[in-house]
Amino acid sequence: MMGHHFGVPFHTELQRRIILEALDFLMAAERSGEVKMLPLKWAQARREAIEIKRKLKLRKD
Amino acid sequence: MDESKENDSPQLRPGLWATVNERYPGSMITKSDFIPLAKLKKPLSESRLTFVSTAGVQPKGSLPFDTVHPVGDYTFRRVPADSKPEDLEIHQLKYPTVGADKDLNVIFPIERLQELAKEKIIGELAPNFFSFIGYNMNPEMLEEKLAEDIAEAVKVEGSDIALLAPA
Repeated sequence: MMGHHFGVPFHTELQRRIILEALDFLMAAERSGEVKMLPLKWAQARREAIEIKRKLKLRKD
Repeated sequence: MDESKENDSPQLRPGLWATVNERYPGSMITKSDFIPLAKLKKPLSESRLTFVSTAGVQPKGSLPFDTVHPVGDYTFRRVPADSKPEDLEIHQLKYPTVGADKDLNVIFPIERLQELAKEKIIGELAPNFFSFIGYNMNPEMLEEKLAEDIAEAVKVEGSDIALLAPA
């Protein structure tokens, strides 16, 4: 998602995972231009972000 | 790039470069081959990492990027790797900053990288990260000036890894 390449606000676990996946791939990639697709869905990240905001009391509903 | 070669490549969208060049004649990608992969020469836990971003993130008080110049801004800013998000601001108009305005780490994950270095998963962070704006319509200036300037700055600081992220 443009402007959200490391996930959604306050989702530190997801942000960390994306970085670690990139660094793991740095060691695993065998040639330039390879692409690794992660099993992450934007909709799921958004849902998790809503829960995180509720826990942090950043969302009122 | 030769179309048959491109179709054999592991790129996410074969044919993309040809489409871009057709729609933006003379303004975009002209590279004809891949740069060989540079393998990491030491464990991650012993490596120095820097971060390079097109997010237009910069320390508060530094000269703002020229976000309205018709062909772009070919300068970069150093972002001290020990900065706090509140020390930084974004000067960039070409991507939605609604998430980054709440939590900069969604586009410039400086706190996550600091944590990984503190935990020694990454050996250490370089003194600076690097940031520029992604709207640059002159590919020669982008490749021969801006990219070279950043590459030189990264090299001077002795980084083993440069993590690049678009915005």
